[in-house]
Amino acid sequence: MLSRVADALYWMSRYLERAEHVARAVDVTFQLDLDLHGVLANPVELEWNALLSLLRMPPPEPRPGSTAATAAMRWILVDTRNPGSVLSCVNRSRNNARSIRGSISPLMWRELNKLHWRLTDTGLQSRVAESPHDFCEETRIGVLLFHGVCESTLTHDESWHFIQLGRYLERAEKVLRILDSRYGLLDAGNATDLPIATLQWSAVLRNCAAYEAYRRLFISRVEPERVVDFLLVNPDFPHSVRFCLTRVVESLAVIAGRLPDRCDDEASRTVGKLLADLVYLDAAGLDGERLHTFLADALIRCARIGSHLQRQYALA
Amino acid sequence: MNPLSNPTVDPARPPTAEESVFSGYELGVAYDEMFAASDGPRPHYAALRERLAQTSPDDFRQRKAMTDLSMREDGVGFTVYRAEEGIERVWPMDPVPRIIPAAEWRRIEEGLVQRITALNLFLWDVYHEQRILRDGVVPARLVLQGGFFRREFVGVDVPRRIYVHICGTDLIRAADGTYLVLEDNARTPSGVSYMLQNRQVLKRVFPSLFNDYDVLPNDDYPAALLDVLQWIAPPTAAQPVVVLLSPGIYNSAYFEHSYLAQRMGIELVEGRDLFVDGNRVFMRTTRGPRRVDVIYRRIDDDFLDPLTFRPDSALGVPGLVNAYRGGTVALANSVGTGIADDKGVYPFVPAMIRYYLAQEPLLPNVETFRPEIPAERSHVLANLENFVVKRVNESGGYGMLVGPASTREQREEFRAAIEANPRDFIAQPTIQLSTHPTFVDGRLDGRHVDLRPFVLCGERVTVTPGGLTRVALPKGSLVVNSSQGGGSKDTWVLADHGSDPSEGGR
Repeated sequence: MLSRVADALYWMSRYLERAEHVARAVDVTFQLDLDLHGVLANPVELEWNALLSLLRMPPPEPRPGSTAATAAMRWILVDTRNPGSVLSCVNRSRNNARSIRGSISPLMWRELNKLHWRLTDTGLQSRVAESPHDFCEETRIGVLLFHGVCESTLTHDESWHFIQLGRYLERAEKVLRILDSRYGLLDAGNATDLPIATLQWSAVLRNCAAYEAYRRLFISRVEPERVVDFLLVNPDFPHSVRFCLTRVVESLAVIAGRLPDRCDDEASRTVGKLLADLVYLDAAGLDGERLHTFLADALIRCARIGSHLQRQYALA
Repeated sequence: MNPLSNPTVDPARPPTAEESVFSGYELGVAYDEMFAASDGPRPHYAALRERLAQTSPDDFRQRKAMTDLSMREDGVGFTVYRAEEGIERVWPMDPVPRIIPAAEWRRIEEGLVQRITALNLFLWDVYHEQRILRDGVVPARLVLQGGFFRREFVGVDVPRRIYVHICGTDLIRAADGTYLVLEDNARTPSGVSYMLQNRQVLKRVFPSLFNDYDVLPNDDYPAALLDVLQWIAPPTAAQPVVVLLSPGIYNSAYFEHSYLAQRMGIELVEGRDLFVDGNRVFMRTTRGPRRVDVIYRRIDDDFLDPLTFRPDSALGVPGLVNAYRGGTVALANSVGTGIADDKGVYPFVPAMIRYYLAQEPLLPNVETFRPEIPAERSHVLANLENFVVKRVNESGGYGMLVGPASTREQREEFRAAIEANPRDFIAQPTIQLSTHPTFVDGRLDGRHVDLRPFVLCGERVTVTPGGLTRVALPKGSLVVNSSQGGGSKDTWVLADHGSDPSEGGR
């Protein structure tokens, strides 16, 4: 496969995963904001600022006549001056797809293109001011449709694996980042109000599309240690870091044309070691500080996997 | 929610005469494709006319909307350049198809085969013996000093002696219905993907129209093109690797590049994906360099190779032209074909046909004046408002003067330019291109159309049935180019069952 094509497949997939992640985070924050209204003094500023810093976005310019929440939502969802907004991510994904239309199935292109046109609909965009839900839902459904079509129309060869690589590497990074944004809550857990902590940890799960899956597994209150353990090391849940990295290892092996335990390239080595550290991690025994140290290190190693990939496959 | 799946059409009551989409349809001086003057539709259009008359304007509007949506969702578009800004436009298709009867198509086909055969003989000749120049049939100066003549290719043997593998020839119809060749596009003609896409969308949006006709499929084009590309591969390549070289996503025809690459199952590459090593062409893949044998290039000669042509080109591949000369890689079309579709050489194509094939041209040219000749220049300058004046080095509807629609200022501008460089222009009498019913503002109205059939030249010459019909959408306009606000139509060639209703007359 052309290196340029591999590169575009990888980024098409990463940006799409990012769009889904950002959309979900906005929806979750919006709901949390409503829930916290009665309990906290100034939840609005607090939660939206926390979200902006989680997404590593600068704050929007204040606009007369719109509330902080509305300004933040428009900035994060539809503003194309913000390179990390959902719309920007979908556009970048689509542009990558456009440059390799011949290498993906026509239906994949069609779904991505339809998503782009739906999200640029001005009616849909203007409803964001009242509630971001429809916009976020469109995004999520569009991304899921795309991957569904990809799953059943694209040959599961090298190109399919570059798509998986982008998707799961992006997702692992995002889950790590979400946990890292909340590690402080772990120590404060006993001091704060239980209902509020429950809301916030539930939001962490929802941010990782993990709330329902968690509930099915642990029939109890949302407990911080279990949340961390579930999101990091559960082997079967598609948004756990371990699950994602396992997929990355598998795809790297197919791309290298070897068995997973016979891969000696830098990218495979880096991700394999990180995965081993995760599998044997005693997540429940971590306090906030040690969790943060682990997560920060894991994020650096994820970034390193990306740069090894660029070198190994001459990605742009 | 998807309007494509559920057209809400009320079939209960056929529209009355006033409600009919044909109400107020007017015939002008031009040849109308559907209607013979005043006495109803031409035989091959009768069934279509009947069905359209049963269709209410609302139903029509809905189908037009479905057409647009379909094109948009498939991402069928092109880019228009205005003030250096590229704007993404959705491909406009009119849902009323154009129909060509079998016998009429047979004549077109023969004429096109004859023409591309002569053009290929001409190109081989001017890059080798130059007999036609020495015999004075085509002025030597016109060719040798033409902007598209590639001196570097004199004496070079191209694979199978084919220069033009893919040709898009623009045909128009005069007031009496005669098909005339307006121009040949022998460099990197585009439009074939729109031809294929139009058929796909019309089948989705208006399937009932196909019920009354046996329409020849056009879907074989990508396979036929691949045959041609494999045919010209270097003899050393057992399983030739064929790629399509595109300037990238910002090119106006990018949709077509990706569409064709996908339909042929070949890699779409950009200049930066290729490199030349040891006079052989390779592409950069995730598993190292891979040999390339044939390049269907959609980049002009000028940008192909910075070492040979424009040194500032970032689109091309350094060393590619030398590898081509060495025969290690094949190009389609060949380098240097621009001299065959040069508008200055165009007036001599009928003479070429007589010279090389000893045949009379089956498809005549449009009468063309060359301002280079003093008598013709003064005639053109004295009647500018009746002529279409074209720059010989431009295409795509850029840089031309349509006399009857021009302002005094525009004419003065062209007058000065013609006087300064007469060799750069040709002039043709304004021909009222044929009209065809087209859906505009809730009803059918006559709009001018042309026809671009696509000719492939490999082991044999094939012409895909139909071609791209382009429509000038503003009333009275004669400019059909998509970059200038043109639309398009699906183009039907009817199967020959021996009982063609149009046999024996137009």
